[in-house]
Amino acid sequence: MFNEGFLGTAAPFIADLILLLEIGMGMGLLAGTWLARKKRFRLHAWCQSAVVLLNLAVIALVMMPSFHARVLPRIPAKMGKAYYSLATAHGLLGIAAEVVALYILLSAGTQLLPQKARITRYKAWMRRTLVLWWVVLLLGIMTYMRWYAPHFFQT
Amino acid sequence: MRRNLSVVGMASVLMLGAGLWAMGQNNLVANAQQKPATAEVKIDNFSFSPNELTIPTGTTVTWTNRDDIPHTVVSSDDPKAFKSKVLDTDEKFAFTFSKPGTYPYFCSVHPKMVGKVVVQ
Repeated sequence: MFNEGFLGTAAPFIADLILLLEIGMGMGLLAGTWLARKKRFRLHAWCQSAVVLLNLAVIALVMMPSFHARVLPRIPAKMGKAYYSLATAHGLLGIAAEVVALYILLSAGTQLLPQKARITRYKAWMRRTLVLWWVVLLLGIMTYMRWYAPHFFQT
Repeated sequence: MRRNLSVVGMASVLMLGAGLWAMGQNNLVANAQQKPATAEVKIDNFSFSPNELTIPTGTTVTWTNRDDIPHTVVSSDDPKAFKSKVLDTDEKFAFTFSKPGTYPYFCSVHPKMVGKVVVQ
């Protein structure tokens, strides 16, 4: 976990790996959207479900422990500093995106939720969640850059 | 007789003075021996400075983060001899090395940052 990364920044191996994985997942969601437009709904469902569940595992196993150790003890006191505020915004919006994505997954793909609790306007929910997901992804890339490649921010 | 008394008195004063001076010197030496040795390592621009530090046993090393990025100081050994929390700008971490040996360490946030303490 503490081995050197492979992207040429100061990041550890795990941070580089997660960065690439998250970008891949973002692209995967776009590919899943394209599948839906092509009316290949079964493939679309598999693609989006795999991304949402994989992201849930990444959040639980890597991101939350890291956030708990490095960022949580410093907020709200150090929120004025970019490396804490970016990570906090990424964390909060990321949790929101993941929860909404799971809700869509349960509503659209399972019978687990009672009929009253299910959403009906799937398209609108999915599109907004996709936008939110990409905002979170961009915040994640900015967080990575601030923590591991700070020279990009220096003038 | 009076002259002899004066000589004895002067000798006594000199001896007392010499004794007090010697006690003072002993106290100075004792204080110098009791004062713990310290050393400083600065964390700046993604590096530990000095990168390698040689110290006598019992020295307390203090790392100070002068960078504008959070860093940690973590022993590379297993089990870890020392491990700091995440140090923000101007925060410090101190550890006293009580056993001789070589102690490599790194920053767990940025593993490319490494350093070494040699305790003699």
